[in-house]
Amino acid sequence: MATNERFATGACEQYEALLEDYINGDLSGADARSVADHWQTCAGCRSALQRAAAGARLLRAAEPSANPGPNFARMVMARIRAAEVDEAAGRTNFWQPFVSLGWRFAATASVALGLLVTYNAGWGRLSQPKIATARPIESIDILAPEPAPAPVNRDEVLMMVADNSHANF
Amino acid sequence: MTNVPKNMTASAPALTLTFQQGERKADDRELVRLSQNGTVAAFEELVRRHQQRVFGLVGGILHRPDDVEDVAQQVFLKAYLGIRRFDQRAAFSTWLYKIAVNECWDYLRKRKVRPLVYEADLSEEQVSRLDGIVSADRPPERPGARAETREILERMLATLPEQDRQLLVLKEIEGFSVQELAEILKLNVNTVKVRLFRARGRIMDTYRRKVTLAGKGHEASAGHGKE
Repeated sequence: MATNERFATGACEQYEALLEDYINGDLSGADARSVADHWQTCAGCRSALQRAAAGARLLRAAEPSANPGPNFARMVMARIRAAEVDEAAGRTNFWQPFVSLGWRFAATASVALGLLVTYNAGWGRLSQPKIATARPIESIDILAPEPAPAPVNRDEVLMMVADNSHANF
Repeated sequence: MTNVPKNMTASAPALTLTFQQGERKADDRELVRLSQNGTVAAFEELVRRHQQRVFGLVGGILHRPDDVEDVAQQVFLKAYLGIRRFDQRAAFSTWLYKIAVNECWDYLRKRKVRPLVYEADLSEEQVSRLDGIVSADRPPERPGARAETREILERMLATLPEQDRQLLVLKEIEGFSVQELAEILKLNVNTVKVRLFRARGRIMDTYRRKVTLAGKGHEASAGHGKE
């Protein structure tokens, strides 16, 4: 930036930064003496130094910005609080659709649950299903002979009657 | 803590009192740490400590007194919102001034405004006042004179390239050091020194031109009066 710009102060280029330090009193004793030795023998640096020093005197006579006062800090803190409130409101707005959806889902689930309970408690009882009655399980004699198969026609019936008659005698 | 009333030790006003009247004045690092932990009063104390320099910095860059307060408030708001991310590797002031400079650039870019540039001739009285300062190295003593001097100088500074104007105002009027300027404007220290040295020469050229113009104007009006 500064190095690209050619501006003739008349000073030796390598001394410009040192002369700035010299004006500001930032040089130690030996360095200050070395710079002083230079500008006393270099007309360009001497002239530039005098101009820069006069410029510094001129500018230092101007008043710096005034302290804004204690009200400023209060106003800043009020602005911070307002920003925090806005931020909190913004957070609420962001989650609002999700919250709304959640409530709708909860309402639907409640209605569904209510219907299920109603069905189980009342309406379902009207059409009670037949309840199977428990019967004692008959004891099965595994050693008993297998029962004869049922006759399928008239001849088999007659044969069975005849067999039973023979058995009785 | 000896000056702090016992019944105020837990409240925010009490913290403010502690920072101001305690046996040991809390340093910026401590206040930053407290602010990071949510102590709002600690941040308020940081605002009080740095408000004048932030005002000077913002005023030096914007050159628009009406907007300085608003931008300065915005700077502290941003600092508050970002303080948890500040790792304290740099000084709080350096971090804050960087926020201020960025905020100024944002402001100028959003508003699409350039800092005011106006140049007007100096009156004879103004020239003689500046002459007194340049030759005698004596700041004006009359109340309000320094403010008037600043006003005159701002008009002369407006003729310089923008960065030169900012550097001169921040260094010579607002009292920032070369090191601080290099850090907050992201420039090399040597570059800042060279620019400052050259800018001082430039402001003196402007001053001489004004003095010459004022002298010519005076001669012309005197000549006109004789006719």
